[in-house]
Amino acid sequence: MRMGGGSGRPGGGRGAAGRDGKGGPRKKFFVRRRKVCKFCAEKLEYIDWKDVKLLQGFIPERGKILPRRISGTCALHQRKLQTAIKRARSIALLPYATD
Amino acid sequence: MRLYDIVVLVTPDLNDEDATKVAAEYKKILTDGGATVVKEEPWGKRRLAFPIQRKRDAHYHYWQVQAEPAAVAEAERRMGLSDQVLRHLAVRVDEELKRSAKMAERLRKKAAKRPPRPAPAAAAPESAAAPERSES
Repeated sequence: MRMGGGSGRPGGGRGAAGRDGKGGPRKKFFVRRRKVCKFCAEKLEYIDWKDVKLLQGFIPERGKILPRRISGTCALHQRKLQTAIKRARSIALLPYATD
Repeated sequence: MRLYDIVVLVTPDLNDEDATKVAAEYKKILTDGGATVVKEEPWGKRRLAFPIQRKRDAHYHYWQVQAEPAAVAEAERRMGLSDQVLRHLAVRVDEELKRSAKMAERLRKKAAKRPPRPAPAAAAPESAAAPERSES
């Protein structure tokens, strides 16, 4: 009987208590700015591959395409952006890679 | 007839005039094939994003043409053969433009409809009319 009561307690009970104790100064998340797809916001439907200025905003130093998780672009527009960038690259408007 | 965006990069070894002449040759192939030039923009001598054939810049020539696919294919083939053309790109744009125009239209309509937003309460699914089953 004593054994039974003891075995029920340890793992879960102690763990939860410990976390609660440290819960006060919990600095789990920093404030996240809500990202909005640039193209949706500005209602740009056609992403022109000739518009180097626009595309350059999605090319970090390295020359790679900025991922959606960072830019916040929606799936549809990221796909269009991707083809636009690739076309621009093929005629040397944008770099494939820079070092 | 389809709408194409065409860009040709001509060697920087030629001066502006000659480069324009070279580009005009290809334009002629297109127009001979029944194409009409909608837009024409010489972008001038531009720095390349990366060297092509050891060259750091090129004369960019851009046209938007309404053309038959065959004419564009022929022009592209010849561009590929030429030594004076570093790169070329022809992209069909009519469908993409049409689609985006449609999307823009839809967005506009949606925006117009937004203000008097009537939250439509989902009609209660009245399944009162239960099937009458006569089972003994």
